[in-house]
Amino acid sequence: MQRYLHTTTSAAPLAVFRILFGLLLLGGIVRFWSYGWIYELYIRPKYFFPFYGLEFVKPLGEFTYILFAVCGLSALLVALGLFYRLAAATLFLSFTYIELIDKTTYLNHYYFISMMCLMLIFLPAHVYFSVDAYRNPKLRADQVPAWCLDVVKLFVGFLYFFAGLAKLNSDWLLQAQPLRIWLPAHNDLPVAGFLLNYTWVAYLFSWFGCLYDLSIPFLLWNRSTRPWAYAAVVVFHGLTALLFPIGMFPYVMIMTALIFFSAGFHQRIINFLGRMLRLRGDQLLPRRIYRMHPALNYVLAGVFVVFFATQLVLPFRYLLYPGELFWTEQGYRFSWRVMLIEKAGHTEFTVRDQAGKKVIVNNSEFLTPLQEKMMATQPDMILQYAHILRDYYTQQGFDRPQVFADSYVTLNGRLGRPLIDPEVNLANETETFSPKSWITPFNDEIKGF
Amino acid sequence: MEQSALHEVLCFCLLKDLFNMLRQLVKNTTYFCVMLAIIWACGNGGEEPTPGTDTDNMDRKAMLTHMADNIIIPSYDNFRVKFDVMKSASDAFAATPNQTTLTAFRKAWEEAYIEWQKVELFDIGPGEVHTMRYYFNIYPADVQGIATNIANPASDLELPTSFARQGFPALDYLINGVGATDAEIVDYYTTTPEAAARRAYIKRVTDRMNSLLTMVINEWKGSYRDSFISKTGLDISSSTSNLVNSYVMHFERYVRSGKFGIPSGAMLNGVVAPEKVEAFYKKDLSLTLAKTAHQAVVDFFNGKNVKTGETGPSFSSYLTALGAKDSSTGKTLAELINAQFAASKAKMDALQPNLYNEIKTNNQAVKDVYTEMQKAVRMLKVDMASAMSITITYVDNDGD
Repeated sequence: MQRYLHTTTSAAPLAVFRILFGLLLLGGIVRFWSYGWIYELYIRPKYFFPFYGLEFVKPLGEFTYILFAVCGLSALLVALGLFYRLAAATLFLSFTYIELIDKTTYLNHYYFISMMCLMLIFLPAHVYFSVDAYRNPKLRADQVPAWCLDVVKLFVGFLYFFAGLAKLNSDWLLQAQPLRIWLPAHNDLPVAGFLLNYTWVAYLFSWFGCLYDLSIPFLLWNRSTRPWAYAAVVVFHGLTALLFPIGMFPYVMIMTALIFFSAGFHQRIINFLGRMLRLRGDQLLPRRIYRMHPALNYVLAGVFVVFFATQLVLPFRYLLYPGELFWTEQGYRFSWRVMLIEKAGHTEFTVRDQAGKKVIVNNSEFLTPLQEKMMATQPDMILQYAHILRDYYTQQGFDRPQVFADSYVTLNGRLGRPLIDPEVNLANETETFSPKSWITPFNDEIKGF
Repeated sequence: MEQSALHEVLCFCLLKDLFNMLRQLVKNTTYFCVMLAIIWACGNGGEEPTPGTDTDNMDRKAMLTHMADNIIIPSYDNFRVKFDVMKSASDAFAATPNQTTLTAFRKAWEEAYIEWQKVELFDIGPGEVHTMRYYFNIYPADVQGIATNIANPASDLELPTSFARQGFPALDYLINGVGATDAEIVDYYTTTPEAAARRAYIKRVTDRMNSLLTMVINEWKGSYRDSFISKTGLDISSSTSNLVNSYVMHFERYVRSGKFGIPSGAMLNGVVAPEKVEAFYKKDLSLTLAKTAHQAVVDFFNGKNVKTGETGPSFSSYLTALGAKDSSTGKTLAELINAQFAASKAKMDALQPNLYNEIKTNNQAVKDVYTEMQKAVRMLKVDMASAMSITITYVDNDGD
């Protein structure tokens, strides 16, 4: 362990990663902005769904544009390696703030990016081939502690492996759900589209996807299998980009997987870029090792141990809750459970009070279509919305209004049924980390993780 | 989900030979891919699909073609025939209002109104672009507004405020509601100073319906039909997605709510409003209209060919081909939806034709129809849409 902490490795992979990651994030922000999603998702809604315990994160109205601008600018600065530590910290804070405004937009790959930004703050990704290193020869180094590179690989490995573990369940493997529903939707693709009609293709995709996720970190890590593995990464994520509306994620992963390639590979990229920029030899090859203060090295290594221990435990927190995870979604987020469920629902609310006032709520008066869609199938959002309604109707002159949810939810092709006990007054229930007793039992069993 | 399973897997991961296994896996995967490529190539060579897989009914192009050519366009043609009869009867009445022309006009209006129920659900493409529904069947009729429009022949009929001043509901008022007896109604168009303006308004309303219908039919028979069957995807702009959305919205908002939920007070927070029934001035027609509209929804679901009466590729056969079913009972989703349609129909069959009276004297029975239809709405909106991987994008405005 001692020796490992002092092992060094080429700084080139981390530098290339920093550049690509920053540019891709910048591209993501520009894309988001140009689609009008900033307004659509963060300004247009009247109400938001903050995360439990993080309610201090408030929507910023028109200032959201500034937040995105800050985020995009810091992504660019990270790519350039200019004011790197400050830029990385700003990037992490601004990006994470955006993602915490509304649960509606939660995506695992945003969480991945957020965590990657957090890690980058502490990694010396700017000591090589950066503006900071260009301006400050004392910072320049072409060797960094090996663990600084390994933590990035390990985190990517976590993502894939947990995504694979989550697929080890009876719906995915034995029923080929939800791919069985999603694939025929693309049966009009040219040439091979008709294949997606066949159930065996859904099984093939399910099993292959599961094996892919479980094995790809190892195959990427191992030098002899790496080219094959990378080809699989490109094919796999290319396919998902073709079949599912998942935005930048496939490209983020195709880019991130390059981190597993050898130092020589990354050095060639840097040399190529260096020639284009007409950099001098000592700038491209400073022949220096980046050394942290030994104490800092230990502290940081310790911090990363805690980070990974947390990452290891979080996906299993669902074991503390009764009931079916896919149904209750207690402990579902932040666990790399990707594309696992086809869930749709419709939830109607009745608000009434002792004086006999009663209203059946028109959800569209409060929520955007996307918010309503996400809320309808997720108990914690249903509760938050019930409280929004309680507070609104209190203001409208209802005396201690009661809120009841009439829900109908389908999961992975099962016939729809109530998700929430319609007799429970949600106005009186509070959000906690403890199990929600008012979620209707699932009435079926999904075996596995 | 047990802890022990987790433990086992974690131990498993630590096994030293995992790497070797994985290496083997790559090899096997390669063979597998080659095999897949061969199967793929064979498949392209035109081999028959595996028996038991109903891939023909998963062909959305065939479904859309059947819907356009054998349901939607022929339904518009049928409506055109009834509408033309009504148009000439209304012209005859407007030219010489008397008991005979009035009776003929009413009969033709009634038949056209019933036939309209079989096309109102096609709120897609030309029908949607020209917002045909809003100009043909927004009720209750705006009696005051109709008077205003009669007085002002230049009034704008395209404004949202004039939706309820035209179409079948306005004609309902104009031929059934302007007098207590037929003689009074004929007088309304003959003896008063405004008689000429009133006759002109009937002409204006039916002319406008005529030109809208002509546009919609011409566009369906023109380029729209080909564009409709070519958009075979399931994204937001695809025909199937638009069709499912408009179909479910029609059933939810214009059959369930419009014909039963709102007048009975099952919605609108319990306010009973019998005066909001469809065909308020010809009250014994309301239930017939509702039943016809419901049957059109059922027939469309099952892909019933309007010309031959036989079923063809449809939502129903598509769902069954997709394998959508309730695994606990083994019943297909299509069967369950049809059973729910039948349950709604049974509740409607229990009603008297005069919905207005039923709401006043037997309202629970009317609310029961709403309740059964609501169950069908959920199955269409949640179970069917999810099984088809279609996003419901329309916003329900149940509360308004």
